[in-house]
Amino acid sequence: MNSTALLSAAKDGLLTGSVYALMATGLTLIFGVMDIINLAQGILVILAAYLSYALQIHWHIDLFVGLLITIPTMFVVGIVIERLFIGRLKGPEKTAMSILVTYAVSLLIEGALNMTFSVNDVQLQGWYVNRSFAIGSVHFGYIYMAGFVLAAVLLSSLYFMLYRTQFGVSVRASLADQTSAALVGIDVKRVSTICFGIGVAVTAAGGMIYGATNSFNASTSYDLISRLLTIIVLGGMGSLGGAMLAGVGMVFIGDMVGVIWSPVWSSMSYFIALTVVLLIRPQGLFGKQSARVA
Amino acid sequence: MAEDAFVSFRGVFAGYGGADVLKDVNCEVERGGVTTIVGPNGSGKSTLLKTVSGLLKPREGEIIFKGQNLVGKTPKEILKLGVVQVPQNHSLFREMTVQENVELGAFLVKDKKVVASRLNMIREMFPIVTERANDKAGSLSGGQQRLVEFARCLMLEPDLVVLDEPSMGLDPKTLKSMFATIKMMNNAGRTVLLVEQNARRALKMSHHGVVLENGKVRLSGTGSEVLNHPEIGALYLGGSIEETTAATVVPESPESESVE
Ligand SMILES: Nc1ncnc2c1ncn2[C@@H]1O[C@H](COP(=O)(O)OP(=O)(O)O)[C@@H](O)[C@H]1O
Ligand SMILES: [Mg+2]
Repeated sequence: MNSTALLSAAKDGLLTGSVYALMATGLTLIFGVMDIINLAQGILVILAAYLSYALQIHWHIDLFVGLLITIPTMFVVGIVIERLFIGRLKGPEKTAMSILVTYAVSLLIEGALNMTFSVNDVQLQGWYVNRSFAIGSVHFGYIYMAGFVLAAVLLSSLYFMLYRTQFGVSVRASLADQTSAALVGIDVKRVSTICFGIGVAVTAAGGMIYGATNSFNASTSYDLISRLLTIIVLGGMGSLGGAMLAGVGMVFIGDMVGVIWSPVWSSMSYFIALTVVLLIRPQGLFGKQSARVA
Repeated sequence: MAEDAFVSFRGVFAGYGGADVLKDVNCEVERGGVTTIVGPNGSGKSTLLKTVSGLLKPREGEIIFKGQNLVGKTPKEILKLGVVQVPQNHSLFREMTVQENVELGAFLVKDKKVVASRLNMIREMFPIVTERANDKAGSLSGGQQRLVEFARCLMLEPDLVVLDEPSMGLDPKTLKSMFATIKMMNNAGRTVLLVEQNARRALKMSHHGVVLENGKVRLSGTGSEVLNHPEIGALYLGGSIEETTAATVVPESPESESVE
């Protein structure tokens, strides 16, 4: 192992991992507040990527400018999904039911995307997509840097919202205990709906960066959701900090394994890391409870 | 008594989706007093309290408070009417500080000055709120957490305080100070609706007692009437199992009997 490989893996971990962390944060926020496992998060990332794609193809809107449209749009998509499908789930089987329901939603969106955009791979374009600069022997792609900055800005905003606003207090209280939150007058249902919206809105930024750094079609969502689930289980279900660390760690480990052994092993390595962590700490790195996946 | 009723339960049926847990509950909470509900485990005491705070919607019946029916109202609306509940399980936000927790008690009060002045008053009543202000609530002992929960629930200056087994798991010394705190709340003008396992002790300080059995009001009366009722004493206030099976308990009557 040479130091360039290590640096390069660290860079990838930070840059690419932060974007995964952003997408996973949405997922873990939704689980933490609502006990809902949103299996549709992967296809929503792809939906968001296609939205950026459509804006680019039809109206020549730059990917980053397009976020001004796609972020609010995905927020509304989240609210609609919550209202139509998720808000109705109740009782002790809620989490298990949510897996089925969001999987069904995922299939619906996948079908719609296949019909609208065909199954051919596409990739988002921009003058910055294939450019990079080098520091020493480590190359930094513009788009990866931008993804990192975007993830950092959005995650910081999320943290500011959580720890510095009155709405954030109600989210944190709902994350901790819905009954206790209701008993101090927090409208947990409203908080849940908005959190679902926020959790889905982050896919707009995640999807755009993903789509600019990978070619994709609707079925790419399966690979995405398995990575996102790995991240949130690894970090501890419902733990925002855990999702961030696991997002960065996952890409870093994958890269290192790819360099040291073989790229074939790199995606396997996430699941090996996951298995090892869960054997030692069933609640994940930062989780307070074991994952309640039924 | 009826004109003194602060809360009236009228024909309340409620459950969790299966069979009814509460089966036609009728009783009243007197204004300004302490009303204690006793009864065996699983008789529906917590369920009844959940219907008051809006955590559980009765299938049928009315709960009248200040002339309004609480049935169908959200917990938030009920809090705004002045009803605050401390639930049976610990309800502090463990990862937040004691101060943050207490401030959350006034979540519905938008005026920051009002919140600050109430916090000062609460600090005088509950020194622990100052002493442990910046400690995480989860680091407190069970008894301390209860006190902070009391402090938090008073931040709304409620008219009715609903307490579900506040003494659960407390050592005798803390228990004593907890009962003193309930008395203090009541003396400060708050009506208290209490569920207690320490039935004797609770009934002694209560103006009114209700015995709930299998989701129905078995008996109600003044605190001492319930306390001194022969069957009830044997059944719920520390009588042995042998005694209860030996004593011929009056068969369950369709009407709840009143000892007045
Ligand atoms: N969340 C719940 N879901 C289903 N059943 C419940 C729930 N909470 C309580 N019960 C049932 O309702 C009955 C009354 O419970 P509860 O009101 O907690 O009794 P108590 O407080 O008098 O001990 C019990 O049979 C209990 O199993
Ligand atoms: Mg109970």
